Amino acid sequence: MALAHVEQLTFSYPGQDVPAVRDVSLSIDPGEVVLLLGPSGCGKSTLLRALAGLVPHFHGGRFSGRVEIAGGDTRACRPADLAGTVASVFQDPEDQVVLTRVLPEVSFGLENVGVPPRQIVPRALCALADVGVGQLAERPVAELSGGELQRVCLASALALEPELLLLDEPTSQLDPDGAEGFLERAVELGTTVVLSEQRAERALAVATRVLFMEGGLVLADAPVEEARDWLSRNRPAWVTAAEAPRTVEPGEAVCAVHGVSFAFDREHPVVEELDLELRRGEIVVLAGPNGSGKTTVAKLAAGLLRPDRGVVERRGRAALLLQDPGRYVTRDRADAEVALGIGGDRARAHATLASVGLADKSGRHPRDLSSGERERLALAAVLVTEPDLLVLDEPTRGVDPDRKRELAGRLRAEAPQRATLVVTHDRTFATAVADRIVTFEEGTDTERGLSLLTVGAHA
Amino acid sequence: MRSGPALALLASAVTAALLARHTVSVAAIALVLLAVCLRAPRARRWPYLVGTGVSAVALFVITPFVETIGSHPLWTGPIVPVIGQLDVTREELVSAAFNASRLAAVGLAFAAYALLVDHDKLLSAAGIARRSVLAVALATRLVPTLERDAAGLVESLRGRGVEVEGVRRRAALVSPLLAGSLERGLNLAEAMEARGYGRGGRTRVPRPGWATADRIALVTAVALVVLGALWL
Repeated sequence: MALAHVEQLTFSYPGQDVPAVRDVSLSIDPGEVVLLLGPSGCGKSTLLRALAGLVPHFHGGRFSGRVEIAGGDTRACRPADLAGTVASVFQDPEDQVVLTRVLPEVSFGLENVGVPPRQIVPRALCALADVGVGQLAERPVAELSGGELQRVCLASALALEPELLLLDEPTSQLDPDGAEGFLERAVELGTTVVLSEQRAERALAVATRVLFMEGGLVLADAPVEEARDWLSRNRPAWVTAAEAPRTVEPGEAVCAVHGVSFAFDREHPVVEELDLELRRGEIVVLAGPNGSGKTTVAKLAAGLLRPDRGVVERRGRAALLLQDPGRYVTRDRADAEVALGIGGDRARAHATLASVGLADKSGRHPRDLSSGERERLALAAVLVTEPDLLVLDEPTRGVDPDRKRELAGRLRAEAPQRATLVVTHDRTFATAVADRIVTFEEGTDTERGLSLLTVGAHA
Repeated sequence: MRSGPALALLASAVTAALLARHTVSVAAIALVLLAVCLRAPRARRWPYLVGTGVSAVALFVITPFVETIGSHPLWTGPIVPVIGQLDVTREELVSAAFNASRLAAVGLAFAAYALLVDHDKLLSAAGIARRSVLAVALATRLVPTLERDAAGLVESLRGRGVEVEGVRRRAALVSPLLAGSLERGLNLAEAMEARGYGRGGRTRVPRPGWATADRIALVTAVALVVLGALWL
């Protein structure tokens, strides 16, 4: 018997005319690992929420069709009643954590579903150990990195021993090694998993079945090898790497970092004696694991941080695109937000919005935009300033492969105008854009926690 | 120490400060609470201490000009329409110090609650009004998140060459910050529902037994209230 059964599901959010999912039908058997792929806004998250009962109970809207979990119709029970059978991990861990310390946080769900008191703490500790963060049990959540916090959220879900585990882009904040480990742990415990991901290459390695969605419809539903063939023929950006760029002759130095050291507190230096040069026409990628100092270097180069020692020399204007596009919502209109960096010039703002495909959204409130549209808005807000140094911090987080290729193409096309520094975990994107890749590694001197800088030649 | 006795101790300090009649007593309570707050990490404690300090100093400065008590003027100023003769008497200064110390004691007790009390244990101990306790615990947990959101908004502007200086420019960030908090609140509510919150039959992690420190704290809390009412 199928663990989950969806029959002709069509759903529209309140106030939306276009359905988020249309006529979706599928059955999920116990033990399957189902990968949902598709561009931003295609309905992946909505389908996951329907399986959790959050659609329609939490979100409202117009719902037709049927969703059954373990034989029960989700319309007949609340999402809270499904907890324990179904467990969900969403994209942003900050929006999931309730309590202030790790162990009580993981115990929260167990208490809610009525687990016998004496079993709560042992199950919580076991779940934390299973995802590799058992040592964090007594830590305050405010001290955890994004990757650690996401693992705690996974532990919270696994502690419930669910029959069905729903993961909505759970690795977006993790570096490649962390993401692979996360997916492997989520899958190896034998739970049925439905997983939404933008970085298809690593998720395909653990999936048994793939659904590709677009415009709310399921275009393909096949075992993973057949799905790879389908993707190669119909959506090659999802399975093939972009071509490596040609080498360019870099121009003048736009930013020079000489002997820079920086620490947020004296006991934990982040950067030590860093030298880095960024030249016009060149795209440099900073790569490395979470916590190695990449974002700090990016902010030093852009002038948002001042070094404790050393010098940062810049020629011209610098602009920095932050990791979180949700930071670009300070105005009531998209065009006003973009125009902020250029003294309110709406004409230029409109032109830049058009260049990123948001011409028809210029009058919308930034919070009314979808996640993919917010990412493009953030990019427009930075590009409109026509900087001499463009710094992008994880610009492909949560971005689908087609959008990544567009961004890579744009960066390459505009590279001669400026020096570009990209901080990214995304190896595929790095390959597509970089003239030079600079790799950060954890220092061997663990007491001082130094990040040693090694330079890798772009292959 | 269990969170319940710790909270009782802080509440009793506030109660004693409000019942006490001598400035020195209230000031002593405030100083003890300040010493407690100084145990918190520096990066987290400074907004609470600065807020409490500024409020108390402001009250101390303003009180003599709005009160009219005493007959020993230390300073006589001009006559201001509506307000009248501005003067500062010794009695008004004593009253100002008393009220400012009270305000400081209340502010520091709240700071100690926010900075040092384990809200997870407090929630676990709450037998009644659990939802209210959870709401307060959530609000406290999300304060660092709100700080990061505010810093992120400022960074997004500085990253485009827009400096955020002055009261007006900073005030313009309040609205998007609040909107972001609402959005985050909705997402959190969704996650809580998905984790079974609100379902009947809730259980609780077994609580540890009462330690000696917990008993001493409770007795001290009761004694402090009595002292405040009778002698301080």
